[in-house]
Amino acid sequence: MKKALIVLEKEWLELRLQRGLLLATLFLPPVMTVFAVVGFFAVGKLSGPIPQGGPLPPEFVSLAPLEVAQAIVGRQFSILFLLLPIFIPSVLASYAIVGEKRERTLEPVLATPIRTWELLLGKILAALIPALAITIASATVFVVGILAFAVTDRVREVIVTPGWILAVLVDTPLLALIGVALIVVLSSRVNDPRTAQQFSAVLVVPVIALLFGQLAGVIVLGPGLALGIGVVLAIVAAGAVWAATRLFQREVILTRWR
Amino acid sequence: MAHAIETHGLTRKFDGRVAVDGLSLTIEAGTVFGFLGPNGAGKTTTVRMLAALIAPTDGDAVVAGHALGVDDTALRRSVGILTEQPGLYDRLSARQNLRYFARLYDLEPARADAQVERYLHLLELWDRRDEPVGTFSKGMRQKLAIARALLHEPTVVFLDEPTAALDPEAARTVREFVKGLKAEGRTIFLTTHNLPEADELCDSIGIFQRRLLRMGSPRELRAGLFGAGTIVRVVGDAARYVAVVRSLPFVREAHAEGETLTVQLDDPDSRNPDIVDALRAAGAPIRYVERLQHSLEDVYLRLVGGHA
Repeated sequence: MKKALIVLEKEWLELRLQRGLLLATLFLPPVMTVFAVVGFFAVGKLSGPIPQGGPLPPEFVSLAPLEVAQAIVGRQFSILFLLLPIFIPSVLASYAIVGEKRERTLEPVLATPIRTWELLLGKILAALIPALAITIASATVFVVGILAFAVTDRVREVIVTPGWILAVLVDTPLLALIGVALIVVLSSRVNDPRTAQQFSAVLVVPVIALLFGQLAGVIVLGPGLALGIGVVLAIVAAGAVWAATRLFQREVILTRWR
Repeated sequence: MAHAIETHGLTRKFDGRVAVDGLSLTIEAGTVFGFLGPNGAGKTTTVRMLAALIAPTDGDAVVAGHALGVDDTALRRSVGILTEQPGLYDRLSARQNLRYFARLYDLEPARADAQVERYLHLLELWDRRDEPVGTFSKGMRQKLAIARALLHEPTVVFLDEPTAALDPEAARTVREFVKGLKAEGRTIFLTTHNLPEADELCDSIGIFQRRLLRMGSPRELRAGLFGAGTIVRVVGDAARYVAVVRSLPFVREAHAEGETLTVQLDDPDSRNPDIVDALRAAGAPIRYVERLQHSLEDVYLRLVGGHA
């Protein structure tokens, strides 16, 4: 475990020295959060007739037009906090693993007494911790903004739901873990971090489907559904980590990774 | 520990293709062993097996007192390896690179810092210690990679092409450093294509092409393959004296080319005076006498060429 922390420390040191990567990932959530809160606040200040159209989720039906406008904006932005923990660790992990493969720095590391699970754990934690920390911090700011600027309590209740909170706290870390494990699996075949990121981007599809399902009123993200999704994701994550662990062995890395 | 490395029938196959075939060798502690062979001969695979990076398909080995496959973590702690590619983190400084590896080799922070400083001084990189490695020349990168292999003071060090692509000055620095390591009593397993370098540094040499073709000291390899001999340069046509030399009972073979007479025999050091006496008696005007010297390259090309 001690060596996993040494790896984590080195990864963060390298991350600090990659300003472009740092800007593209860790500064993105705060910027988007500010944008979301400002947008939510601005919609709440609209005056005059509000155009309406299209089907609404059942819980929006009883809302006034201004409340609906704010609720739609708030809910759309709330999905961001489910997407960011997938996107950020995938980018960080792709540079940490595919980048290291490309630069041929893995062999000297594998020649040390480190165990491969310690190396893998260090790299996974180095990608997950900052991504989840910045996302949860940004989500907290978002919640504070919603609570502060919602035109009514009913708007607050349809955006900051127990289902959404559970999804942020339970489902997205699992999705992030799946994303990182997928990067490890892809690392055995690709030599460009961007290629790995493009493949792992497929993970956002279920989240986008969730967004549209909610907006169309087909899916209601309640606590039950969030937990159910969590159970499925936990099973998938366990499988993905198992596959990643199988591929992240000295023997495999040195003889099979191309 | 009498033997630093001992292998018995070490074999590695990749999908049925044999990369290393039944390698058996013994390397004495405190010596430099040169492992020579063409590209793709299986040298890197052998080093990876001996450094417990990949497992053999068959056979066994003991390296630095640790049997392969028993406690490979302890084995890795006892050996240092300079990989074919330096594999350094370009964004990190020389000091940060070394400190990371020192910690991975289980050195406590204070000792890690002390070792990093020691090797940065020894390899003349101290003045550039806080600069990103990406700005370093090839020679500096190689020296840093060598330092990385030694931070934990291993008893056995694997150096895979340590002077490849270095300028003559940097290559010389590295060679001197290898000699220093030997003087400290470490065992060096040196993989190189630079045959004069192997000749200069190695106590024993193994010529390898998927399997061990020949092993011995550079001198033994030459003698074993070409025999010992003497060259005599005379004034005029040397062919006139071939029969004289051939008549000597200890001479195995003699032939002439221009003014040069090449004589093959088992013990030139003690028999050269007899050859000189016989030639002088026959009236041969001798310019000078020298040892018949085959280069390691001759040995290598004959062995590897014969198995290509």
